[in-house]
Amino acid sequence: MIRDITIGQFYPVDSQIHRLDARVKLTMTFIFIITLFMVNSFIGYFFVVTALLAVIKVSKVPIKFMLKGIKSIMIIIIFTAVINLFMTRGEHILWQWGFLSITLEGVFLALKMCIRLVLLIIGSSVLTLTTTPIQLTDGIEFMLRPFKKIGVPAHEIAMMMTIALRFIPTLLDETDKIMKAQQARGADFDTGNLMQKAKSLIPILVPLFISAFRRAEELAMAMEARCYHGDENRTRMNRMIMQRRDYRALMIGLVYIVAILGLRYLPHLFPFII
Amino acid sequence: MSIKINHLTHIYNSGTAFEKKALDDVSIEIKKGEFVGLIGHTGSGKSTLIQHLNGIIAPTQGEILLDGENIHKDKAKLKEVRRRIGLAFQYPEYQLFEMTVYKDVAFGPTNMQLSKEEIHANVVSALETVGIAPELYEKSPFELSGGQKRRVAIAGVLAMNPEVLILDEPTAGLDPKGRDEILQAIKRLHEERGITVILVSHSMEDVAKLVERIIVMHEGKISMVGTPKEVFRHVEMLESIGLAAPQVSYVFTALKEKGYDVPLDVYTVEEAKKVLLDFVKQVSV
Amino acid sequence: MKMVKAEGLTYEYIKMLETDHGTEEEKVSALKAVNLEIEKGEFVVVLGHNGSGKSTFAKHINALLEPTKGTLWIKGMNTKNNELVWEIRQTAGMVFQNPDNQLVATIVEEDIAFGPENMGVAPEEIRQRVDEALATVRMQKYATHSPSKLSGGQKQRIAIAGVLAMKPDCIVFDEPTAMLDPVGRKEVMETIERLNKEDGITIILITHYMDEAVRGDRVYVIDDGEVVMEGKPKEIFSQVERLQRYGLDVPQVTEVAHFLRMEGIDIPADILTVEEMVGALCQLKLTT
Repeated sequence: MIRDITIGQFYPVDSQIHRLDARVKLTMTFIFIITLFMVNSFIGYFFVVTALLAVIKVSKVPIKFMLKGIKSIMIIIIFTAVINLFMTRGEHILWQWGFLSITLEGVFLALKMCIRLVLLIIGSSVLTLTTTPIQLTDGIEFMLRPFKKIGVPAHEIAMMMTIALRFIPTLLDETDKIMKAQQARGADFDTGNLMQKAKSLIPILVPLFISAFRRAEELAMAMEARCYHGDENRTRMNRMIMQRRDYRALMIGLVYIVAILGLRYLPHLFPFII
Repeated sequence: MSIKINHLTHIYNSGTAFEKKALDDVSIEIKKGEFVGLIGHTGSGKSTLIQHLNGIIAPTQGEILLDGENIHKDKAKLKEVRRRIGLAFQYPEYQLFEMTVYKDVAFGPTNMQLSKEEIHANVVSALETVGIAPELYEKSPFELSGGQKRRVAIAGVLAMNPEVLILDEPTAGLDPKGRDEILQAIKRLHEERGITVILVSHSMEDVAKLVERIIVMHEGKISMVGTPKEVFRHVEMLESIGLAAPQVSYVFTALKEKGYDVPLDVYTVEEAKKVLLDFVKQVSV
Repeated sequence: MKMVKAEGLTYEYIKMLETDHGTEEEKVSALKAVNLEIEKGEFVVVLGHNGSGKSTFAKHINALLEPTKGTLWIKGMNTKNNELVWEIRQTAGMVFQNPDNQLVATIVEEDIAFGPENMGVAPEEIRQRVDEALATVRMQKYATHSPSKLSGGQKQRIAIAGVLAMKPDCIVFDEPTAMLDPVGRKEVMETIERLNKEDGITIILITHYMDEAVRGDRVYVIDDGEVVMEGKPKEIFSQVERLQRYGLDVPQVTEVAHFLRMEGIDIPADILTVEEMVGALCQLKLTT
């Protein structure tokens, strides 16, 4: 059960997308997310979905894998939909009961928000599924570097991400083990009211925290023993070098932005088009 | 109480690319009051097997009978099964969480909703059996030494008054002193309480010292069952599946190969001392 | 120059004790005036039960702890000198007990590169060192794997490769096999012996397994923070009762040989292996 979580999972195949520089992919994902909030017509969404599907096709990652990520945040999607559905005021009231009402505007807004969320998740999954965690953190470190002057600890953020990614599987395993051990001592995680359920987590959380702290301490010592002292004079085995394909990808990204802007603003400038 | 395992098969991640058959048609019976050693290298299926015995994982095929009754027949009774068959996992000290040793050991009995007096009696008796002195009861379990922590954790399982106690690698990572204390405690609880003990271990020396019967597992199957005398004479067979016999066994195998008339079923230091003394004296006469 | 030299090495720390009268401070001496010398290329074993101070000693070699009194030199460098700390850690690498808690990166080769990256080695050379280190521990096949999918023994070999990539003269192993199964222990011990024999790396192995200790050139026994015995494995292990007093084991055959000697049988006291035991028994047979 607990092993179904797929944060930051990498899908190891060789594709055009996989080979792109992580910085390019980060930039593109960033652009993609921004455009999601710029688009507000269904034609626009159609265009975004088509573009995304094309990228997924090139990435050779089965679409099934992308959809997996949505399952884990289904609750958030439903919650967003419900809130928008009931909370949006409008002129075209479809249904009313006491203070609750559903309007046509609400239905559209809820639908749009859901589409945005789903696309957001799938879009960022493309990034994590096609980029190894190391490349990803290296990319983030590089892109945060300009902000170092204003006090953004770029290297430290990247190192923390690397370590977190490294220890997620270890800690999941550990949680599984502790749960089984407490079950063997008659612990019950499934029955009882909310309060009892929360209380039943203590026998899992305390050992888990203690173990996490012990691991952190040992890891810190092991890192020091291997001469770690921040990013001062630090070199990297894999240097990031932009290739021709990376520039090509950026060009495609530029075309995409122009298209999105066109879809958004052209109808205003030339209302007779649509 | 007897445990009977009938044609038990367990497949992890069934139907996916990561499918793995951890247990393959395993059948065995463990009788009341027995002291059994379960050996096999990592991935042989022994951990999967013991987790089935107290119902923490369910079989893909086959059944586990506890006094003739399938443990998965009635889901409501599973909690009772887990009480009757105590399972101490590897590195059990990692499950300690309470403020005091006493409270931690009381966790299991409290979950069973026993009366206060019963809980107290169980906790004290469990801690005595594993050799934890009363002055440590009110200490934080995290202040104890590695060996003490482990004994407290085992007491936590013991306090539920199980009829069978399964111990997964109880001596792993301990120094000789810690190891001897744990083994002493296990021996004592088997002798004094008469409960069935299943000891899972990599250490042939530990197993040789204690158990009455050995089950050898390899690739999800049982590859050998017998008394230590029967099992340890098959040194080559054990080595072929990545295990080894206790060091003294090898001395006798080598002497036999050189043409001397020595028994092959000696596997403890104490026995070796006696047999070799006779052997040497025969020579000098 | 000695690889490691300790003179009066003492380490004390303050421990808080909860008593009936509130919190009290207690001074604990983890190491008490330890003197020892380790030559370049030696394979030295430090034996002791848990809490004897052997891990504290290991951490001093890597300058992770600083002596309270006395001095420790690593290849002539005083570990108290803060300016030398990185050079000391580069000279004397360290492998810890829990393989899970010393791997940093999510990809094997990235992890091995961590040390040289910290030292500021040029990218091309890091690549070369990583490949060499992987080959030395025979893990080339796993270069792009995730460490979380490896066995304990394999993880520990990756940790060793991570230290090797820093090109140390000496490696301290702090109970490297305590958490491994027999197969993993064998893999790691074979790797350690190979590093010593083939690459001439000075090895300091901290352990309480006597079957590992017999493979060393020299053994130090530490008890309660003091060096109580020092000598060749054969000299150390022939003193069965003394070792047992320090909470340590002897190999089964050594124990049996000791018993036979006590019974008046003329058998060597320094038997450590099955072969030696069988040889000695056959010798007895032939001479009579």
